[in-house]
Amino acid sequence: MSTVPIEFLLHHSHLRHNSRSYRGTRSFLPCSLNLRSRFTSSNKLLVLNSSIGSATSALGLRSSKYVAIRASSSDTAVVETSQSESDDVIFKENFPVQRIEKAEGKIYVRLKQVKENDWELSVGCSIPGKWILHWGVSYVGDTGSEWDQPPEDMRPPGSFAIKDYAIETPLEKLSEGDFEVTIKLNLESSVAALNFVLKDEETGAWYQHKGRDFKVPLVDDVPDNGNLIGAKKGFGAIGQLSNIPLKQEKSGVEVEKESKSSSDSTIERKGLQEFYEEMPISKRVADDNSVSVTARKCPETSNNIVSVETDLPGDVTVHWGVCKNGSKRWEIPSEPYPEETSLFKNKALRTRLQRKDDGTGSFGLFSLDGKLEGLCFVLKLNENTWLNYRGEDFYVPFLTSSSSPVETEAAQVSEHTPKTDKEVSASGFTDEIITEIRNLAIDISHHKNQKTNVKEVQENILQEIEKLAAEAYSIFRSTTPTFTEESILESEAEKPEIKISSGTGSGFEILCQGFNWESHKSGRWYLELQEKASELASLGFTVLWLPPPTESVSPEGYMPKDLYNLNSRYGTIDELKDTVRKFHKVGIKVLGDAVLNHRCAHFKNQNGVWNLFGGRLNWDDRAVVADDPHFQGRGNKSSGDNFHAAPNIDHSQDFVRKDIKEWLCWMREEVGYDGWRLDFVRGFWGGYVKDYMDASKPYFAVGEYWDSLSYTYGEMDYNQDAHRQRIVDWINATSGAAGAFDVTTKGILHAALQKCEYWRLSDPKGKPPGVVGWWPSRAVTFIENHDTGSTQGHWRFPEGKEMQGYAYILTHPGTPAVFFDHIFSDYHSEIASLLSLRNRQKLHCRSEVNIDKSERDVYAAIIDDKVAMKIGPGHYEPPNGSKNWSVAVEGRDYKVWESS
Amino acid sequence: MEVSVIGNPQTRLCRAELAYRELGFRFGSVVISGESRNKVTFLSQSSNFKDLSIRCSSRSVKCEAVVSDGVPFLKSTPNSRWLASVKLFVGLPLDTVSDCNNVNHLKAITAGLKALKLLGVEGIELPIFWGVVEKEASGKYDWSGYLAVAEIVKKVGLKLHASLSFHGSKNPGIGLPDWVEKIGEAEPGVYFTDRYGQQYKECLSFAVDDVPVLDGKTPMEVCRGFCESFKSVFSDYMGNTITGITLGLGPDGELRYPSHQHDVKRSGAGEFQCYDKHMLSALKGYAESTGNPLWGLGGPHDAPAYDQQPHSSSFFSDGGSWESQYGDFFLSWYSSLLTSHADRVLSVASSAFSGIGVPLCGKLPLLHQWNKLRSQPSELTAGFYSPNGQDRYEAIVEIFAKNSCRMIIPGMDLSDEHQSPESLSSPESLLAHLKTSCKKQRVVVSGQNSSAPVPGAFERIVENLKDENAGIDLFTYQRMGALFFSPEHFHAFTVFVRNLRQFELTSDDQAAEVETKTVNIGSGSGAPSLQTA
Repeated sequence: MSTVPIEFLLHHSHLRHNSRSYRGTRSFLPCSLNLRSRFTSSNKLLVLNSSIGSATSALGLRSSKYVAIRASSSDTAVVETSQSESDDVIFKENFPVQRIEKAEGKIYVRLKQVKENDWELSVGCSIPGKWILHWGVSYVGDTGSEWDQPPEDMRPPGSFAIKDYAIETPLEKLSEGDFEVTIKLNLESSVAALNFVLKDEETGAWYQHKGRDFKVPLVDDVPDNGNLIGAKKGFGAIGQLSNIPLKQEKSGVEVEKESKSSSDSTIERKGLQEFYEEMPISKRVADDNSVSVTARKCPETSNNIVSVETDLPGDVTVHWGVCKNGSKRWEIPSEPYPEETSLFKNKALRTRLQRKDDGTGSFGLFSLDGKLEGLCFVLKLNENTWLNYRGEDFYVPFLTSSSSPVETEAAQVSEHTPKTDKEVSASGFTDEIITEIRNLAIDISHHKNQKTNVKEVQENILQEIEKLAAEAYSIFRSTTPTFTEESILESEAEKPEIKISSGTGSGFEILCQGFNWESHKSGRWYLELQEKASELASLGFTVLWLPPPTESVSPEGYMPKDLYNLNSRYGTIDELKDTVRKFHKVGIKVLGDAVLNHRCAHFKNQNGVWNLFGGRLNWDDRAVVADDPHFQGRGNKSSGDNFHAAPNIDHSQDFVRKDIKEWLCWMREEVGYDGWRLDFVRGFWGGYVKDYMDASKPYFAVGEYWDSLSYTYGEMDYNQDAHRQRIVDWINATSGAAGAFDVTTKGILHAALQKCEYWRLSDPKGKPPGVVGWWPSRAVTFIENHDTGSTQGHWRFPEGKEMQGYAYILTHPGTPAVFFDHIFSDYHSEIASLLSLRNRQKLHCRSEVNIDKSERDVYAAIIDDKVAMKIGPGHYEPPNGSKNWSVAVEGRDYKVWESS
Repeated sequence: MEVSVIGNPQTRLCRAELAYRELGFRFGSVVISGESRNKVTFLSQSSNFKDLSIRCSSRSVKCEAVVSDGVPFLKSTPNSRWLASVKLFVGLPLDTVSDCNNVNHLKAITAGLKALKLLGVEGIELPIFWGVVEKEASGKYDWSGYLAVAEIVKKVGLKLHASLSFHGSKNPGIGLPDWVEKIGEAEPGVYFTDRYGQQYKECLSFAVDDVPVLDGKTPMEVCRGFCESFKSVFSDYMGNTITGITLGLGPDGELRYPSHQHDVKRSGAGEFQCYDKHMLSALKGYAESTGNPLWGLGGPHDAPAYDQQPHSSSFFSDGGSWESQYGDFFLSWYSSLLTSHADRVLSVASSAFSGIGVPLCGKLPLLHQWNKLRSQPSELTAGFYSPNGQDRYEAIVEIFAKNSCRMIIPGMDLSDEHQSPESLSSPESLLAHLKTSCKKQRVVVSGQNSSAPVPGAFERIVENLKDENAGIDLFTYQRMGALFFSPEHFHAFTVFVRNLRQFELTSDDQAAEVETKTVNIGSGSGAPSLQTA
């Protein structure tokens, strides 16, 4: 059936709000018509008026059955069942429909010279509306498409500024009916061009010029991107005014007046000419109407009598068919048909509705065989306008069984209203998108210019799909506690040659955390660290983790603000670059600490909430996740946990991801970072991290996924599989593109060492109980960092037992990370010996560990058959076999042997 | 063939010559339905289009249409058109409803269903277990969990394909109903039994179908009650949400003997499961009636064990017992029980579900292991046999045809190249054979993949579905769960769906220009086909 979907525009605006990449570049992209809310209240009455009454009496209905039923003003499709007359009413429904009316008119732009250097630019529109000129200027020498605010003296009264780059000025109604605004141009300023788009506040639609801003050049050499107006060379090209969601109109531009400008303006403005241009536009206005359908059973003829009534103006034709045998295929019923009915291509019947006497609409009655299952119809207003109900045919079910008459379809329809419950509204959204695809498919074939939209919508859908799938995945994962063991995952990676991947580096990496919580205090940390470069290299470190480099609200750097400002309390950007260079020289790779979960805002929104960003990434509140009430974000819901002290970034937004990728690449290039330590990755989906890693191609990357282990009555549980599973899930979501700190291992070491419960260090399968037991190559083992230890001490490693911790992580698989404070402490030489042992014996992130003993007071393991270790006060000697073990490092409650 | 054109005001008829007509229209959607293959219908509100008639000369019917290929979803290639009409279903996890009638991972399923809906998946297959619904006592049904799932599926706007499972499943730990298991303890003869006396407790023996072993009722009567209860409880969903019902025909729902009692010992060809009390007495009776009472004392003595290679003992080897007169006697009897079981279940179901307009389906196994051996021993132990090398599936397919039942064939993802050479297996040729058998008797085939992930699965599935000859118009992908939604797999699945649907992001240059293609409708031989010129 060919129908014009009536809700296309609505769907559109709905989606576009989420999707439109609103980049910092100040050029305005088109927005679609934002019509009134979808379910506008329908005050229509479900009235069987008297004329219908008489008609139906003729068809054998008892007139006592007619009661005028008043559907109160409501936001939903109204399904009314009045007890008094429900005995033979089998279906009653008021369908809200929207009819789009098109108003056509023009936009005009006029440049006029008043005096020598005083020119006036007028922008007007002939269609009534609440028109706003949204404009800014470009100055001489500006490149790119960014706007600037015009000088004060150019702003007409009533203008107000939008952020720091645009002005909005309402158009005023002129006596002749047009709407117009006039801007006085002072050509003594260095304004090179004036940029604008026209906005209709009523509909929220933006009107642009050929997909770009209107641009009126005031000097000669404004680059022409095809959107210039009034420029000589542009005359031929200026064609169509596009408002993307609108149907494209064929149009030409009339240049009505053209005159030579006076020659005594400045040289650059020599070519400035008066001009007048018109462009046709059309605007769509939605009218809310309703269609009420009542079906009742006629007890005498056992026919179903359907009355269709609508307040749609003009001739309304019902294009209908009946349904049999459970399908919704249209079939032609047997005669008789109502008056004014014709057969249409043997596929459907067309019945013109009778006009109501009072001119408020039309109605019609259909008497149908009681055995039929339902009536399908669409409404036709004229050759090109068809109405259906939310992308589907109107459907009136007649239930042949006597049970539950008004249920099913009617109920189903009413459930579609967005306000009934969340579950349903979500599915409504699904339907919406589906409808939209369909509508677009139809629409697109008429209007190739809208292709961009389709693409965007498709991308949107794909994104939505991805998000849903990720959600489903994470839940399925957590309820299915199975994890394919490392053996499978690692088998292919077990090859001897060194393969670099961002999750593992070379596999032989040893990390140094190059700062603590106090490092910012000196203000010259980068310089201090530089001096230690050669020492760290000689100790055997291969990777250094530097503190977060960006401007930050907190001195430690974890509350970043302007990501492109790399002057921090640790030093300037130049000192940073220099530091990176120095470490590269000694063969150490450098990780940047990237805080991607949250970002502190520069500005408050109109409610006084800090959620507007400045700097090079001047995002607005769409970059902020919607589910933290403190920051009133307009983005999507967070894909992870929220960090509550700052606006959490919505990584599901294309523009955000694009900007972050750019930023990471810039840091790689500008600073020379080799990889990333990713802060608070619990806050967003690991799939996005994969995206970032793919884009920035780090040598090594590790994420901080820190959540609590499980305890029962204050005692840590032996089985921490759920905890490590969450970390593994995250790594998996990044497709292994990043490793993760092995918080599980740290937690278990705490319990084991503190309470002398070394049996905890073997899981039921005889493997290490942390992430390192499941996915060693992606586990970054550590015992302390700036948060857990240092001067914060949120979760400090058992004091005095740090060396046992290092004896464990520096001999075991995984990539070990050593905390700065520990290196430069009394433990220095012991750590150095362990580091050199690890490098000497070529232990790596996938080394094989065989746990030899895990008892109350001792844990012992043999790694790769060449290193044996024990921690705990208990006794252990490596087995005397073919191997000759010699003690390599020894300290309080730990001992490490190597085979020679 | 039916071609309908959606929403085009500019349709115009240009040239009408002997056999050529040029139509300017766009393919908004092309529906090729199996039922009405020779009807061309154009629907448009354009007035001058009313005059259109397409004249078909028997010699050459050629209808040239200018197709502006501005529609991003469909490309007019002959294969994709068939592919695009294949309905795609995805199976829900086996443990969607737990044995205490709770819906497991409800949130995950809801999110997953929405994702699938957006992706363009047609519907969902829901395994409904006898052991969950009629758990406590005979005739006491509790559908609540499954009703809840059906409601979700309906709300999301997907179709539902219900699989009524009369078997148990070890994996999510759903057995037969408690009361049936209790009967099974007292009367072990109701289960399939192998020659070692081991019972297969996930499914009742075919031999008790018509024996009143279940509290005075026969399993078939219980089955009928179950079907009728399902029909009445789900009546609101029938035809609109529920568009298909699959009847469980045996172990894991497949029509076969549980010849591999335990999946672990897959190395052999399986063993005959004819040693329960009822089977043995049936065999005895049959042997006596055919005049060979000695043959009725037990199954073949020289069949290999579960873990033995099929040709390691004499039964399946070339010229072995299976080809002897005894072999024919035994195998005919063994397979006849399978055939009659299928017939019983399907007739019970088709009478229970008559008039609801929802197609019924039954599933066959794809017994491709060892099928390069002449004896094809996996088929024999599972109960597929036909004397003198005739089509072993013919009798079964006939039963399906008789009951107008669709056939589900799994293993559409398997390709020969990925089978280990030692297993002498060829899934592709077996599949082709099954398709031909079904086509011969006009049994509609639906596809499924094997439940374990295999390499190259999606490519193989697309290959299978492309085959317009086989006419597979429905494919069910097994199965939703953690693995399904894992990033790697789900991505591959998305690509697969898009390959089916041709749902591609148009590249910029495609978007920029309106391509003109010519589509020929009809062909000289009169056989309907659509092709791009």
